[in-house]
Amino acid sequence: MWRDLRDRLLRPLIRGPLTARHPAVAPSLPAAARGLPVVDPALCDASGACVMACPTRAITVTEQAWRLDLGRCVFCAACADACPQGAIALTGRVELAVRERTAAVVSTPITGGGS
Amino acid sequence: MSDRRLRVPAADLATVVADLLAGGATYRMLVGTDDRAVGGEGLAVEVALSTHDGPLRVRAELPHTDASYAALTPLVPAAHWDEREAADLLGLRPVGHPDPRRLVLHETFPDGFHPLRKDVPAGERPPVADGRWEAFTAHGEGIYQLPVGPIHAGVIEPGHFRFSAVGERVLHLDARLFFTHRGLEKLAEGRPFTEALPLVERACGVCTVTHALAYSQAVETLTGTEVPERARWARVLLAELERVYNHVGDLGNICAGMGFNPGSSRLGALKERLLQVNDALTGHRYLQAMIVPGGLRRDLAAGRVAALPVELDAISQELAAAIRVVLRSDGAVSRLSRTGTVSQATVRMLGGLGVTAKAVGIEADLRRDEPYAAYGELDVSVDTAHAGDVAARFHVRAQEAHDSLRLAREVASRLPGGAWLGPVGGAPEAGAVAMAGAEGPRGASWIWLRAGENGTVDRVRLRSASFADWPIVASAVPGDLVPDFPLINKSFELCYACTDR
Repeated sequence: MWRDLRDRLLRPLIRGPLTARHPAVAPSLPAAARGLPVVDPALCDASGACVMACPTRAITVTEQAWRLDLGRCVFCAACADACPQGAIALTGRVELAVRERTAAVVSTPITGGGS
Repeated sequence: MSDRRLRVPAADLATVVADLLAGGATYRMLVGTDDRAVGGEGLAVEVALSTHDGPLRVRAELPHTDASYAALTPLVPAAHWDEREAADLLGLRPVGHPDPRRLVLHETFPDGFHPLRKDVPAGERPPVADGRWEAFTAHGEGIYQLPVGPIHAGVIEPGHFRFSAVGERVLHLDARLFFTHRGLEKLAEGRPFTEALPLVERACGVCTVTHALAYSQAVETLTGTEVPERARWARVLLAELERVYNHVGDLGNICAGMGFNPGSSRLGALKERLLQVNDALTGHRYLQAMIVPGGLRRDLAAGRVAALPVELDAISQELAAAIRVVLRSDGAVSRLSRTGTVSQATVRMLGGLGVTAKAVGIEADLRRDEPYAAYGELDVSVDTAHAGDVAARFHVRAQEAHDSLRLAREVASRLPGGAWLGPVGGAPEAGAVAMAGAEGPRGASWIWLRAGENGTVDRVRLRSASFADWPIVASAVPGDLVPDFPLINKSFELCYACTDR
């Protein structure tokens, strides 16, 4: 009885809600979180290693741009592991919903051939 | 692990396999193949077994013009769905199969369309046929049909259930699944091993470690790859974390299935805590993209492993307290008991695995019986119950969750250092086959993998534990009431997506 009172009434009252106040408060993600992959345009030399490594063929690289289709990306980070320049990183950005399919393709201009 | 193979005439396959099973072999799967890309003439049907001397594959080769063979199912009922699947996807003809209806490809696919044949390109869209599914139903005065699904009032996967009932009592249940067939196995063909991994890993959302592990082990066997110590142990940690969050979530779902909110909310919150542990450790709540052939794709988050034993110990205590809340309620216990009962004979006959088998007293667990990763150096206890009802499955899950937490704590405290990823060996000969299994939250999932040219996949089949257990769900319901079904279904908590692939 007392144990029940403590476990089921008092403890939750003291602890407060377990759920997060999203979206009012931004989610706190662990350092290891794998969200939106981004490329550092200064480091990317358009070698195409990420294109080859991507298991879902979500990446296309031209001389001008690094394009990622988030509709295909599975956030496995194979691109980041494969990049010889270390130009790709998975960030903590996880709120990636869009209204149009075309908006799910993100394009980052690159200088091409590095600096 | 040596690859032992036995070739038999198509007419003898069933009797040879039945004899081997009577002699103590264990049935793992039946797989249909199209051998034309690896130097074969046509199709083949192959039965994979575990024997005292290691794995054994019994195969019969069939011309692609007439793929008939004597069906296994009359002698080996566990092959029931395997044979129907091979009939749909490859056009094999198991002559004498008691239920030759479609399984994977619904009747909207035209006759003669067999996507896993090599001459059918991936992505082929055949015209829509207007065939209709015919349910097995009971007939008679006062018996009515109750169709449920495939769309359900809840965030669950699609499945159609057809009850034949008298009043509220179920006489017979026929289930139609495979609404989420994506053709993953076809999509994997021709891809390098590493590129096929995300397909296998994401066949479903909740057995990703199990499936990635089984697949990686199969690739490692084919390529002669050694896995570094740290990865061998970390794989156990990941597999046990996957088991715990599944079991805790399922225990909560069983409470939800009988409307017992104190249990479902408390266990639901505990599952969330476990998912956050996963997230902090791997960057992914469902532990995806961690296991790859050769070890781990990335190391466990620095500093998090040391904190695990204390954290998991606290979770273990909270789990015990939550289970006490359920078991102290007489109403809950009486609802769980004698509901959804299956007999040991039924489970043995249909080849049930995991919690389903353990809840009828079958002591089978790959972690102990055919140890992989670092399980050989750990003390895995196999928990069983005997009643075969929802209560028995509840108890087995609760006990197994505690044991998993114990194993995870032990691994976290003795995880060796060093490299977590080693080099993967060279491409195997085209046509080489490897089998590997891993004990997931729902039982043993198996991968059958055949190499093509240059380290690509020629054919991969994932036979998940859910695939093995689904036919048993249908036999657990007759005799119970229609409103018991959600509770019974949740006590098995099988996955639709990795059954369908």
